[in-house]
Amino acid sequence: MRYPKLLTVSATAALMAGAVAVSGPGEAEHHELKIGYAGGFTGYLAPYDQPSLKGVQLAIDQLNAAGGVMGMEVRLVVKDTRSDTAQAATVAQELVDEGVAAMIVSCDVDPAVASGVIAQAAEIPAASSCASTPTLPAAVGPYMFSNYTADNLQGAVLAQYAREQGHENAYILLSRDTPYTEKLPEYFGEAFEGMGGNVVAVGEYTMGQQDFSAEVTNIKGLDPRPDIIQTSAYEPDFPAFIKQLRAAGIDTPVLGSDGIDSPTTFGLGDVAEGVVFSNAGFASPGSALAAYEMAYEEKYGEPNDTIFTATGYDLMMVIAAAVEAAGSTDGSAIRDAWDGLESVQVATGVITYKGQGRVPVRVVALNMVSGGERVHVGDFSPDPSAIPAP
Amino acid sequence: MAGPVVIGRILTPDTLAGSALLFVPIAAVSLVAWQTVGPAPQGTVTHYLILTVAVLAFSTFTGNSGILSFGHVAFMGLAAHISGLLTIPPAQKGVFLPDVPSWLAGTDMHVLVAGLIAVALVTSIGFLVGIPISRLGGASAAIATLGLLIIVYGVIVGARDFTRGSQALIGVPKTVDIPTALVFVAVAILLARLFRDSLSGLELRAAREDEPAASAIGVNAPGRRLFAWTVSAAIAAVAGVLLAHYLGVYSPREFYFQITFAILAMLIVGGMTSVSGAVVGAVLVTVLIEVLRGAEERVNAAFFDEPTVFGLTDIGLSLAILGVLFWRRNGLFGYWEIEELAGGWRRWTGFERGPPAADAVVERVSGEGALEIDGVVKSFGGLRAVDGASLALRPGEILGLIGPNGSGKTTLLGCVSGALDVTAGRVGLDGADITAMPAHMIARSRVGRTFQNIRLFANLTCLDNVKAALAASGARRPANGMEARALMAELGVEDYAERRAGALAYGLQRRLEIARALALEPRYLLLDEPAAGMNETESDELLGILAGLRESRGLGLLIVDHDLRLIMRLCDRVVVLNKGRVIAEGTPGEVQSDPDVIEAYLGQRRAARKAAAHQP
Repeated sequence: MRYPKLLTVSATAALMAGAVAVSGPGEAEHHELKIGYAGGFTGYLAPYDQPSLKGVQLAIDQLNAAGGVMGMEVRLVVKDTRSDTAQAATVAQELVDEGVAAMIVSCDVDPAVASGVIAQAAEIPAASSCASTPTLPAAVGPYMFSNYTADNLQGAVLAQYAREQGHENAYILLSRDTPYTEKLPEYFGEAFEGMGGNVVAVGEYTMGQQDFSAEVTNIKGLDPRPDIIQTSAYEPDFPAFIKQLRAAGIDTPVLGSDGIDSPTTFGLGDVAEGVVFSNAGFASPGSALAAYEMAYEEKYGEPNDTIFTATGYDLMMVIAAAVEAAGSTDGSAIRDAWDGLESVQVATGVITYKGQGRVPVRVVALNMVSGGERVHVGDFSPDPSAIPAP
Repeated sequence: MAGPVVIGRILTPDTLAGSALLFVPIAAVSLVAWQTVGPAPQGTVTHYLILTVAVLAFSTFTGNSGILSFGHVAFMGLAAHISGLLTIPPAQKGVFLPDVPSWLAGTDMHVLVAGLIAVALVTSIGFLVGIPISRLGGASAAIATLGLLIIVYGVIVGARDFTRGSQALIGVPKTVDIPTALVFVAVAILLARLFRDSLSGLELRAAREDEPAASAIGVNAPGRRLFAWTVSAAIAAVAGVLLAHYLGVYSPREFYFQITFAILAMLIVGGMTSVSGAVVGAVLVTVLIEVLRGAEERVNAAFFDEPTVFGLTDIGLSLAILGVLFWRRNGLFGYWEIEELAGGWRRWTGFERGPPAADAVVERVSGEGALEIDGVVKSFGGLRAVDGASLALRPGEILGLIGPNGSGKTTLLGCVSGALDVTAGRVGLDGADITAMPAHMIARSRVGRTFQNIRLFANLTCLDNVKAALAASGARRPANGMEARALMAELGVEDYAERRAGALAYGLQRRLEIARALALEPRYLLLDEPAAGMNETESDELLGILAGLRESRGLGLLIVDHDLRLIMRLCDRVVVLNKGRVIAEGTPGEVQSDPDVIEAYLGQRRAARKAAAHQP
């Protein structure tokens, strides 16, 4: 009597397993590591989340080709938030319902927080693909991580560089229209003064204002005359500003951040010559990033044109490392392991989370615009004490 | 006794039925979802319900006034930020909002209290902002609302002591679920319908159709717009508070263009000018988004190793809007409400719209006083269209005003009715000076008019055309269906009460326009070419009706017409205008034989004949 019953149970189980396999997203949890990506693949975040997704998928290809993570095949569940905050929360809940072990969320703070609080409530670790506001993890809770180079880190690196070049008096141009254009220059100023520099004046602009003559006139009249200018303005504000600045005969060096790492900047000609900006990495020959770029071109048949693919790749590799370190797909185990990761080798260099409050320390590369080309100035990892508090 | 009567007048069976037909299905589906589905679809339903409240806010203003608003999201944003600031726990405020004033740093209110404060504040702000905006009409008002959205966004970003600038507010309690949102959907639907069906709403819809004509029946269009704007600001504030406590995290950008266009899309699909359209538009757009979203995921899973197809949702939504605009320019519902389309409910409840027409209670106006036009001049740039014309109209008199084309007859009518500002001269009404009075006040002083090119409220029913006039004129008669039908019966158009006025035959439109003017209980009625476009039989019938009006009501009629047969048979006196001046005045017989008149008309004809003869 016992055998037939067992047989029935096994047959039922097999049937169910078969049905599940046919119907798609299934219960084969022990054989696969399910990662969710709630990104803005359409709408204003598409230029950031789409490249991140390509990097994530390249990482998954490589992980699975090497036998998966702890023998589990990595499977990505992708859902579009349409760059909408309310949708970001709904989609995150859907991913939780699907049983993902970790979640990648949008590149911007609002949707990232909206998705993050859902993941937090479900005790599933989550990280924003490329939001750079350093307060993001603290705003959500212990299950929320950052991935991208934080604004305060970039600000500190730029300040360090400016001081090393012997600059004393800085002018800062910021816009309160976005946290990025506002906070990064403020972090720069804080770090610059912390290193003994002097912020002469802070100018403000409105995004899209086109006319910077008031700011340029102001810079001309400053005493002491600034010997370095820092701004996180990007298109269309940065080109307008730098053209009007140079047209007024001011040749003070200008420091930018990763927002101007675009073909437009390199096409500006003489006015942009010598502009130094920070970003998440430079593919110098023989570097990990160079190897990544080759792999990218092999998979997608076109050269990589933005650093956001590499940072997406990095994030997936960090998640894999956290799962390996945890030895489990349990959310709290992954979270704890993630929070303790040290010197994980990724495409852009190494990443450390340990002791950083879930905001990683990673390499910041400085680049110079020279002859319409990107020239590597160097990779920087500032002294943690020099990084302004978020 | 007063209670039920007031409820019956304000909360009509139509309002109740229309609201219930919209709300009951939504409530049923939402509550089933609340009991059965997981948190993710519940979130979708809650968000949809909140957007329904927001769409109703837009609809209450835009639908009734005809002015496209971009500004109501500003009220949502303000309310969301006020309510958020009052409810974020003090500990969180200390971390994320270190600069808030101390009185705010310690507040830890219940969401309901904070929400009430937010709605009250935003409604007051809405009223103040509405004062200038309601004075504008059409495109300039729409642009002003756009400006409001941008300014309020700037203020929220700039008020850095209270907000986190462009950064998100964090830690707002998430308390809105399906039942909470449903309660406010019910309130919003009822409010929107109550306003739409109120006399105030009817007057505003009349102004939406034709503002000059609305002024001519006594509608104070800016005043009505201000009221609608304030009511809609309150509904928008409710939507803002709900969204705040649904999202829990939002930056000022959440309340900017993206959500404005999402709401407008719902309004366009459903129909801007009807409450039902707004509600159904929100349902359809939400369902469409969910279906397309699912389809996108399935397409990606079925055909690609990696997700490659994105944007199906936005493409589908755009196509749906284009399709609706192509096939149904006024949205799916157009000008209709749901109970008008599902008219059968009246038979179930035994309620038939409109009681039968009563006999018109006709009150004769007193024969004292006169409408006096004294040396009126009206210049358009260098052209003096009216050049010192003087005449007087007494109650009980029928005065004809004739003259060649371009002699200034219609302009003179515009000067008297207040539609045009008088350059010089004086218009007196029974001894009072009304020269500078606005058109709607002159109408309320019992001077009615009709227009040369018929100006009915084309998308309102014939009954509502008359009812709007009864309501706006402040006449002593109640503005109800029975009174309106009685007036329509006087002009023989009572059978068309439920038809859209724009669908009526030409001659009937002329009659309806007179019935509408009679709702003012005019002492003086100015008719601009009432017989234009009528055939001889129709013209004869009109003649009988007009003569009858003088007999029964004793009002003074000023008739401008080219139909000299009608003028000569009907009028006691005739004034002839040429080049803006009175050239003759007297009985029809005297005027006909006046040499100046003959020259004005025939001289012209001779000249015309000469010109024609010289044509090759």
